Amino acid sequence: MKSTLRIAALAAELKTIGYRLAAALAICVVLTFLSDAFLTTNNLMNVLRQASLLFLLASGLTLVILTAGLDLSVGANIGLSACIAASIMKLTGSALLGAACGVGIGLTIGLANGLLVALMRMPPFIATYGMLWVVHGITYWFMAGTTLYGFPPAFRALGSGYFLGVPIPVYLMFVFLTLGAFFSQRTTYGQEIYAIGANREAARLSGVPIVKRLILVYAVSGAMAGLASLVFLARMNSAEGDIGEAFTLPAIAAALIGGTSLFGGIGTVSGTLVGALILTLVLNGMNLLTIDASWQPLVTGVIVLLAVFFDTLTRRGEEARK
Amino acid sequence: MKLFTTALTTTLAATALFSSAAYADGEKIAVFTKNLTNPYFQMVRLGADNAAKTMNAVTQNYVPTKPDSIPEQMSQIEDVAVKKPNAIVFIPVDYKAMATGVAKLNAANIPVVNITDRSESGKFVSFIGTDDYSLGLETGRFMLKTMGGKGNVVILEGVKASLSNVDRVRGFKKALDENPGVKLIAQQPANYQRLQALQVMENLMQTFPQIDGVLAGNDAMATGVIEAMDAANRKALVIGINGSKEAIDAIKAGKMLASGDPGGFEQGCLGTMVAIRELRKLPVPKEILFPAFVIHKGNYQAFDIAADKRVCPKYEDLVKK
Repeated sequence: MKSTLRIAALAAELKTIGYRLAAALAICVVLTFLSDAFLTTNNLMNVLRQASLLFLLASGLTLVILTAGLDLSVGANIGLSACIAASIMKLTGSALLGAACGVGIGLTIGLANGLLVALMRMPPFIATYGMLWVVHGITYWFMAGTTLYGFPPAFRALGSGYFLGVPIPVYLMFVFLTLGAFFSQRTTYGQEIYAIGANREAARLSGVPIVKRLILVYAVSGAMAGLASLVFLARMNSAEGDIGEAFTLPAIAAALIGGTSLFGGIGTVSGTLVGALILTLVLNGMNLLTIDASWQPLVTGVIVLLAVFFDTLTRRGEEARK
Repeated sequence: MKLFTTALTTTLAATALFSSAAYADGEKIAVFTKNLTNPYFQMVRLGADNAAKTMNAVTQNYVPTKPDSIPEQMSQIEDVAVKKPNAIVFIPVDYKAMATGVAKLNAANIPVVNITDRSESGKFVSFIGTDDYSLGLETGRFMLKTMGGKGNVVILEGVKASLSNVDRVRGFKKALDENPGVKLIAQQPANYQRLQALQVMENLMQTFPQIDGVLAGNDAMATGVIEAMDAANRKALVIGINGSKEAIDAIKAGKMLASGDPGGFEQGCLGTMVAIRELRKLPVPKEILFPAFVIHKGNYQAFDIAADKRVCPKYEDLVKK
């Protein structure tokens, strides 16, 4: 019974990804016709590298949303993790120690979110919204309006290096895509996470350790934000207090555009990759075509709406038939 | 959240009081800035603290915890209207929306010196600032002159609707008009953010094989541009605006051509001096506009010192400027 449900759900998900992938390809086809610079190895690598940071952040967040939760603190988390990692690196000269602290801070913030949501039973929106401000506050106090810059070249390879002509962040993206897909689709943990999002009461009755699993997904989301902060640092070679603010909504959007449902139980990490790619392609296209700055927000909005339009349309049709 | 704001303000106040306990009898000056994240406002606060210290007065900082938050600055104004410091040095988080706040301060009869962003309405002792148009114009002119009046140029804009962006870009455009040999090949937004500037530049480099100069609306974006160019092994002249420490280091290293300096430190100094002079019944100017100053390879040394070691210039010199 449970496994047939899983297969049906998986089929629905694949269909959803199919629509999103078609939307991403449609954008690519249009851009190929409009700009000579679009369909080149250089530019495609460029797009993948730009999407990688957003994907790393959004992949952990996807697991949270699958449990019908939300993590609004991921942007703030990137900011603090990056600033602490940067200052440790400047202080000790050790890239490894700095990197460990960055991921550690991210994980700690995630764990705190998990405890608030799972043990204290706070609504995820409020718990992580509160955390967002606590973390921003600590970051602003810690940085006091300064900027940290100049990190060891070995560390910078993580963000700006290449291996066999492919940027390092792109490898990271595919490693975590594989890990995320395996974890969520092939392990008991993953199935339990889907089960919590689909029907928490049923999951509890069938013996899923809800508190533990919730803490786990928030911790993973936090740690991924910590990792993303390292890629940011390595790529930009600098950090300041407000770098995270611009990330939160695009990360949530990447997951949702990729077909993950805010109500939980539906969605995939690979869908989130497609979501991140669509958002990145939009910016890439607008820059290549040098669309006027005043029109860019409008163009972004219309393309995001179109990207999910057909999927929503067919789903409504199916629901009407039921 | 409110609790946290209060806690933070109290900490700031406590630090201010502690550091100047010796001047406990001095005038109390409340300093309003927009946020804790932009280095510019940190310079303003340091300038204000330094001026107050040399004139035996005390500053108290009011900064919204959510950057540029209108409701937070409004509630801080309400606080101040009750606590009644002797004078206020004021940067509105929004030059239009804070009009009612300014009216409250006026009604409480506290003298207010407006600095940096000119408030749309209200009574002020003076206005001290610099204009973004001439910052854009002078820094732009400097780059185009260095380019020899020819080549391909890109403009990276800040937040589209912001006052500073409109004026800085207008300045850049005027400088371009004066150099008909230079071609503006693209003008794209990057919202004053360094990662966005990096990505926009990576994208633009795909379309344009030859980019000779980049006019960026602030230093953070200029830094992003330089990272993108370096990673692609390409070279272009890059200018930013803000005169930040990061920009000065990049100028020293030969990576950035120049940065327009809005003089945050000097504005903090002079704003506080004017507030104290007004209280001491000394003459004050109605308005001071600092000329745009371009920091480049030839003159960066004067700015290359730790911000908290800087000392305010003499009042007479600041007014002469």
